[in-house]
Amino acid sequence: MRPIDSLQSRLTHTGGAAQPWLAEWWRLVDLGAVILVLALSPSSYGRERRAALSRHIYLDTAPILLGFSVLCALVTVVLTRIVLVTAQSYGLSQYALQVVIRVLVLELIPLTAALFVALRCTIPDGAELAAMQASGELDEMRRHGLDPVRFEVLPRAVAGMFAAITLAALSSLVVLVVAYLVGYGFTASGLAVYTRVFGQVFTPAVTLIFVLKALFFALAVSLIPMASALYGMRGGGVRTSAEMRGLVRMFAVMLLIEVASLVGNYY
Amino acid sequence: MNPTRGPEPPAPSAPDAPNLKFRARLLLIFMLLLVCGSALYVLYARGVFESTQKLVLLADDSEGVVVGMDLTFAGFPIGRVRRIELAEDGKARILIDVAAGDARWLRASSIFTLSRGIVGGANLRAYSGVLEDPPLPDGAVRTVLQGDPGAEIHKAASSARELIENLNALTGSDGALGMTLANLRSVTARLNEMMKVRGGALAVLLGSEAEAKKLTVTLDRTNALLARLDGIAGRADIQVFGEAGVMPETRAAVVRLGALLDDARGTLKKVDAVLVDAHAIGGNVKDATADLGVLRGEVDASLRKIDGLINEINRKWPFARDTEIRLP
Repeated sequence: MRPIDSLQSRLTHTGGAAQPWLAEWWRLVDLGAVILVLALSPSSYGRERRAALSRHIYLDTAPILLGFSVLCALVTVVLTRIVLVTAQSYGLSQYALQVVIRVLVLELIPLTAALFVALRCTIPDGAELAAMQASGELDEMRRHGLDPVRFEVLPRAVAGMFAAITLAALSSLVVLVVAYLVGYGFTASGLAVYTRVFGQVFTPAVTLIFVLKALFFALAVSLIPMASALYGMRGGGVRTSAEMRGLVRMFAVMLLIEVASLVGNYY
Repeated sequence: MNPTRGPEPPAPSAPDAPNLKFRARLLLIFMLLLVCGSALYVLYARGVFESTQKLVLLADDSEGVVVGMDLTFAGFPIGRVRRIELAEDGKARILIDVAAGDARWLRASSIFTLSRGIVGGANLRAYSGVLEDPPLPDGAVRTVLQGDPGAEIHKAASSARELIENLNALTGSDGALGMTLANLRSVTARLNEMMKVRGGALAVLLGSEAEAKKLTVTLDRTNALLARLDGIAGRADIQVFGEAGVMPETRAAVVRLGALLDDARGTLKKVDAVLVDAHAIGGNVKDATADLGVLRGEVDASLRKIDGLINEINRKWPFARDTEIRLP
């Protein structure tokens, strides 16, 4: 009877540990659903809220566009050159640009853009929310009958999603242009071949996975820091800070999305 | 993370609101343009906007062919694989969309090949030998010719293996080369042995010492015969080329013959002169004959005149004329 007792106690312990973990994830999913519904409902974009939304969108996206584009261009120049020289030395130069498009546009750029947005916009936004929560500002709003999710979380989450998608699209464009210039030089004669190579890489399945990946990355980087800020303070008894846990959770989700996209693309 | 960004009030500050709104709108439009442009570019790159004609290639094996790969003509991509399916007869049907603008390179006599490199994917290529042929119709079905360097490598490897086996068989201890070398070794040993004793290599070649002796005797006699032949040749030389030999006399006869020919040439010249004279005489005779013709004509005229005169006289002469006709 003793082994059964120990198994039961172990199961109880595991279940007790898993419960808050599951509850946190459930709250995250719940908040995500609420934010999505609010983001898709026209009533969220009323005249009085449009100003705040515009402000968040502009302040989250515009300052990082130029810097990230330049960074992407530099990385692309270096990586394209490496791939081209290596491919040439093996006599496989016809595959070089295809490899560059696959590696940079399909895999690296969306991930880097999402991480950049997370570090520069959504994690600071989450910290703001956490500070508001700590100072009791959000509770004050609740007392006045204002929903903090609608007034404070939604603009920041939408701005984060907008920034992630814009950055992914712009950096993909920059990478494509720079890779072309490095591969063919300042001439238009390679455009047809380059477009063909691009078309060969972007099959319908790959395009769909790319779009879904960019969307899920945007959702992950914009929602998880907000959820951690809103609900993280309540979970007592955990040694790590709410911000750090949110960060780890966000990286885990991004890793999962990336792995799922790789499985979809190459298996 | 960002120390400059503190908790923001829910409402933005009034002075920068319109400017921010406008910029946010610009950003929104920029993002929409970017996303829509990217989508359009992907569609364009996938060939959605180009008009195409269909081509079906039949292959025994479609390994290496993937959807989206190019069909090339002279190194330029002119079409792309849209679909691969297995036909009822077990052959692979490769459905290709050929761009309408590039379809003019494909003719009814064009051939299509599917080759697989050792490195990299398969290649679909089109060749049009006669560009004056009628163009390939839409939906044409053609069999694709397949070439596989990998299979060639297997063939070459099996041929090389056969070659090596043959070499091994040749060079083995019981092989032809080994036997030959063994025979050579025994011959050399025997040669050495015979060189030491008598007869030398001849005895080895002819089999026995007696045969070698016979050959030596034959050679001696041949030498003696050659010496005699040498003497005969010397005597014949004297007979032919000596002072009283055949050759000097022949030379004198030839000299005499030359003189005789000179004489004959002089005689012929004289005969030639005589012939010239005869020719002149003949010409004179011809002239005389012409004169004789004229003279005869004149004589004939004179005679006719005389005849007329006599008739006249006879008519006018009444007497002493006997006009009676006597019958016999």
